[in-house]
Amino acid sequence: MFRVGRSAAVAALAAAALALSACGGSSDDSNSGSGGSAESKTLTLWHYETGNSAMGTAWAQAMKEFEASHPGVKVKFEEKGFEQIQKTASMVLNSDEAPDIMEYNKGNATAGQLSKQGLLTDLSEQATKRGWDKLLSPSLQTTAKYDERGIMGSGKWFGVPNYGEYVMVYYNKDMFEKAGVKVPTTFDEFTAALDAFAKKGTTPIAMAGAEYPAQQLFYLLALNKANRAWIDSFELYKGKVDFHGPEFTYAAQTFSDWVKKGYISKDSAGMKAEDMGVAFIGGKFPIMVSGSWWFGRLAEEIKDFKWGSFLWPGQFAPGSSGNLWVVPEKSKNKDLAYDFIDITMKKEIQNLLGNSGGVPVAADPSAITDAQNKELIENFNKLSTQDGLAFYPDWPAPGYYDVLVAGVQELINGSKKPEEVLDEIAQPYNDNLADIGN
Amino acid sequence: MNADRTFRQPGRWAVLAALVVLAVVMLFPFVIVTLNAFKSPAEYSSGGPLSLPHGFYLDGIVAFWDRVDFGLKLWNSLLISGVVAVAAVVLSVLNAYALGIGKVRGRLWILVLFLVANTLPQEALVYPLYYLSKEVGLYDSKLAVILIFTVIQAAFGTYLLSSVLGQFPRGILEAAELDGASRWRMLWGIVVPISRPTLSVLLIFFFIWTWNEFFLPMVFLISNDNQTVPVALGVLQGEKMMDATMSSASALLGIIPAVAFFLIFQRTLTRGITVGAIK
Repeated sequence: MFRVGRSAAVAALAAAALALSACGGSSDDSNSGSGGSAESKTLTLWHYETGNSAMGTAWAQAMKEFEASHPGVKVKFEEKGFEQIQKTASMVLNSDEAPDIMEYNKGNATAGQLSKQGLLTDLSEQATKRGWDKLLSPSLQTTAKYDERGIMGSGKWFGVPNYGEYVMVYYNKDMFEKAGVKVPTTFDEFTAALDAFAKKGTTPIAMAGAEYPAQQLFYLLALNKANRAWIDSFELYKGKVDFHGPEFTYAAQTFSDWVKKGYISKDSAGMKAEDMGVAFIGGKFPIMVSGSWWFGRLAEEIKDFKWGSFLWPGQFAPGSSGNLWVVPEKSKNKDLAYDFIDITMKKEIQNLLGNSGGVPVAADPSAITDAQNKELIENFNKLSTQDGLAFYPDWPAPGYYDVLVAGVQELINGSKKPEEVLDEIAQPYNDNLADIGN
Repeated sequence: MNADRTFRQPGRWAVLAALVVLAVVMLFPFVIVTLNAFKSPAEYSSGGPLSLPHGFYLDGIVAFWDRVDFGLKLWNSLLISGVVAVAAVVLSVLNAYALGIGKVRGRLWILVLFLVANTLPQEALVYPLYYLSKEVGLYDSKLAVILIFTVIQAAFGTYLLSSVLGQFPRGILEAAELDGASRWRMLWGIVVPISRPTLSVLLIFFFIWTWNEFFLPMVFLISNDNQTVPVALGVLQGEKMMDATMSSASALLGIIPAVAFFLIFQRTLTRGITVGAIK
């Protein structure tokens, strides 16, 4: 396909303008000026959650309450695509078209980057004044604060998360029952369960080697040998990480063993997360190790069997706060934006988020009615209180996601030895450390 | 004669078979999209992407239409693509008239410049264009996108038309000049009518190319009221989740207008291409 496009000598732009004003100019008026500073008052709000998701539902309610408690102010909500926000945020926030408040991705490469460029408002004062710092547990606050290098974990507040997320084990109750396997509570019981399925000829774990699930399982295995100091070293650069230390060596070795023992299918190297989910929903695997973002979809689409979830047997699991509310530096209504964030942190909105299948950060567990939702939230609270949120393995360096995908794929294929894979994933990590001057 | 025919037969069959295979390969994605557009999410999850839908599930399409206010997006796309197509063709004709028929000094180098400009990736243009449009107050406006694509498409159009007009029969123009026709008159009275087929092809291509553009419209059309169809389709791609059935529904809605436009002007297209070939 030969794509035309490209080009544009600046000189030609002037010519185009002339030609256009002659023939096409009258038919468009454009420039609709969405800021809305002229009207009474408008709070322009962007987010990229689906309307019927837990966050979408809760935030729609929050907008209603906001309008009720702020007479004369209208919320102008625009649903955006994830990609559009990712690719254009720094440009939008640098212009007069910036929204008053928006959802943005947590992490060094995203919110951290914008805070470093001075595009986000410092929320520290509001966080203490309005008590957000009390509502959010320390590991949730990690992703809300960024230092002057744009690295999370300390410094000023630049965002406020409304929800959490974590990786857990989803299981097919019917298949467990049929195979006579009980829900495991320790890691030994967990491997015994995997073994029981494998002996019967069923591959126990649904896996996707081409996307995030494989590296999260790999990270989970490392976490079973890790402590908080190691996590802080790896994720927040608070110390040196030895890629040939016990944590990663164990993870690589065990992962490779699991493939050999048939706990993970060799064919899964090329699978995508979507394939993994569809296979689990279709009842083809008894276990899927993945994040709380699947919860709503599983609840809606699994009709043919009973399912449940339990925490990964170990102290830690990948997880963190969800995405953040941020207030652009160019926001025209900062006070209204703070008020809105405050409403989203209120019990009613948080409870609604929980009842819709999300993981609220400040809900009242007794107000959650559905048993499955309750289990999800209680497990999160348990993990959060045992200081178990270990963030995600791809966070430490830009582009690290692809490095890990490639590395773990080699473990699944058996094309490289575990030690070689560790060397491969150590290199980009250490390069990045050198880049940021650690 | 007879022998010749039988000799030819297997070759023809091979060509036909190759074309059929090619057609199937080309149509396969469309079939998948159409199949899944009419499936409910539960059906998709239990049966996978290749199963046949059990009924005519329209909720996905309706829900998507309402969610992004698709009517408005259609109008935006139509407006932008339409204005760009016409303006870019006019601009190309004016440029090419000067470069292909007129005697502009250094025209070869100008054409080379256009060609080089054509190969620039859009990503390289984003930041300069972003600052320019912000300076003149056109950021987040349809006019910005129209201007940008008019220039982009006209760059290609100028390059192509200049070489077409370079072959223009000189005799006709000289005769007209003897009759006292002005340059302006020669352009609109002679050159444009004779190159009409080529111009229609350009118009259609410009329309479809602009319609399908995603990256620059995504950057420049910030507010939802200004967005085009491809940008609206991007709303469905979540961070970790994809909604396969709704994505299919939206993809179907997104390609229908371009396909319809193509079918309507299909005859003009083939005519234009064959005319070009004879020349």
